[in-house]
Amino acid sequence: MRNNRVPTDQTVPNHDSEALTVKMPPIIEVDHISKNYSVFRKKEGFKGAVQGLFKREYNTVEAVKDISFSIESGEFVAFLGPNGAGKTTTLKMLSGLIYPSQGTAKVLGYVPWERQDQYRRQFSLVMGQKNQLWWDLPASDSFELHREIYNIPKQQFQQTLGELIELLGVKDLTRQAVRELSLGERMKMELIAALLHRPRLLLLDEPTIGLDVVAQVTIQKCLREYHERNKVTVLLTSHYMRDVEALCRRVLVIAHGKLIYDGELSGIRDKFGQEKILKIEFQADAPPPDLSQYGLVGTIEGPTVELRVERPNVAEVLSNILARHTIADVSVQDPPLEQLIARVFEEGGTGE
Amino acid sequence: MQSQSPTHEFFPAPPSQTWKRYPRLLGRLGMFTLIRELSLRGNFLVKVAVEVLWLGILLAFYETVFARTSMVASWPKQDYLFFVGCFFAINGVLETLFLENCNEFSNLVRTGDLDFLLLKPIDEQFLITCRRVDWSVSPNIIMGFCVMAVSLWNKGWEFDALRVALFAITFTCGVAIAYSFMLVLTSFSVWLVRNQSLMEMWWLFSSLARYPREIFQRGWANSLDLVFTYILPILLVVNVPSRVMVKTIEPKMVCFIMVVTVASLAASRWFFQRALRSYRSASS
Repeated sequence: MRNNRVPTDQTVPNHDSEALTVKMPPIIEVDHISKNYSVFRKKEGFKGAVQGLFKREYNTVEAVKDISFSIESGEFVAFLGPNGAGKTTTLKMLSGLIYPSQGTAKVLGYVPWERQDQYRRQFSLVMGQKNQLWWDLPASDSFELHREIYNIPKQQFQQTLGELIELLGVKDLTRQAVRELSLGERMKMELIAALLHRPRLLLLDEPTIGLDVVAQVTIQKCLREYHERNKVTVLLTSHYMRDVEALCRRVLVIAHGKLIYDGELSGIRDKFGQEKILKIEFQADAPPPDLSQYGLVGTIEGPTVELRVERPNVAEVLSNILARHTIADVSVQDPPLEQLIARVFEEGGTGE
Repeated sequence: MQSQSPTHEFFPAPPSQTWKRYPRLLGRLGMFTLIRELSLRGNFLVKVAVEVLWLGILLAFYETVFARTSMVASWPKQDYLFFVGCFFAINGVLETLFLENCNEFSNLVRTGDLDFLLLKPIDEQFLITCRRVDWSVSPNIIMGFCVMAVSLWNKGWEFDALRVALFAITFTCGVAIAYSFMLVLTSFSVWLVRNQSLMEMWWLFSSLARYPREIFQRGWANSLDLVFTYILPILLVVNVPSRVMVKTIEPKMVCFIMVVTVASLAASRWFFQRALRSYRSASS
């Protein structure tokens, strides 16, 4: 885990017109933050309901447990974890919607849950499962309201809106009532609303959830392009590894409320990928029957078989198979990232 | 995005974040809700018709009462009609600007849609309690003022600038006190999530406000008068502005309602902020 990441260097001119390198503070600094919820434990049946009127039992749910990380300006970071891992709770604390039970955080130099207007002007939260636009009105009316709320100068508003409409290809849709738009079109409008005030930080909570592949790719493309052009800092949660692979180099993995990995996406394989996949094509018409002694037998297609083998045993297994059987082709692969992540989630990081 | 577009530039807050922004924003919100209401005009017209009918029934009822007596609790017919008009106008303002928003608050808490309102760089109380204007009940305000005007005409009331000024002040105070009550009841939604019983309590309060204090100033009801005038001062809301126009001006009560207004606005705001601190945001 890397809680003390090296701050981004940025070169700025000083008053003598000489370049001066200054250390920019991280955009997000989270320090041992936890969030506990007290949840009413309802007893079963009518008797339990009556008892609940007089005496209630509560369970404490630890949604987030003592996590720390920091994110530098301009990073595009994925926040991964299974349902209920604490991703959204963390995003909500960072956006100031809920208070932490313990710990501190600074985002853009502000304590998020103080909800200062100056802080709220500088970030956006997009939630794929929620809609912030006025349902019965065209999106353009919601954008106009957004302009008033964020006090965006009219000329800059028009310019940004034009750019975003072009980027997302929704020129003919902004005058259509939001309720008449498809899910993908609605998400594009949500993104426009989120970016109109040019936030410095973008928090994206499953922005492609429920979208078809085409819409997912469009959103990914737009986010990548927007990030490259504007260097905004983005923290993305998504269950689609395609989103993560397309957009992020760094990932934070959270499971059962604990941060279990913080590093390069490719580093996940080194840390959690204890297996390799041997894809072996035998010369015979079918693979031999005794392959399970070498590892876990996966898919079999004709004479080709996939064999999962512990990483340290790969060389030994390969030499044994080559000694006993005639091989037409062989390749050694890493398991797909999606499978690897699923396993990390299942094990909650205990496999490290 | 165009390749010649400037590098990313954050829009800094304008130097003056004055209160002037809020009336403009309220106007914009009002316009959007009007557009929405007019696009669903059937619903809009039915709601307007119901309100007109309700006032008609109320006036017919008081006509019947005053056909048999010249006074109700020391209020002659035209004074009482003024009181009814004042109640209708105050209630109209509250229902037009705040009631629908407050009613919907528990729903926002339950679904987690409150999140988006809390993220906006603007006063949360303003955005939550004023974001939708219920235009279908706004004719109540006009009808209320018409009833007041007719009663003053029938009474032969002579223009008095002091009374009019005091009426404007105390009318505003009445609205503010009732709004504070509504806000406190609304705030409970954060803890209770379902808030139906509390909004029924609001209807109880507004029912109390529609009667002159004198009705409660006899026998056991005297304690109700004391409680709802000095502890939960809902009886001040309509009584004080009505009295300054059609009865003797009571400087003590005028001062009292102004003090109560400031105190209730401050207390309800504090309570609302406390409630928001406890907001848990429904999981998505």
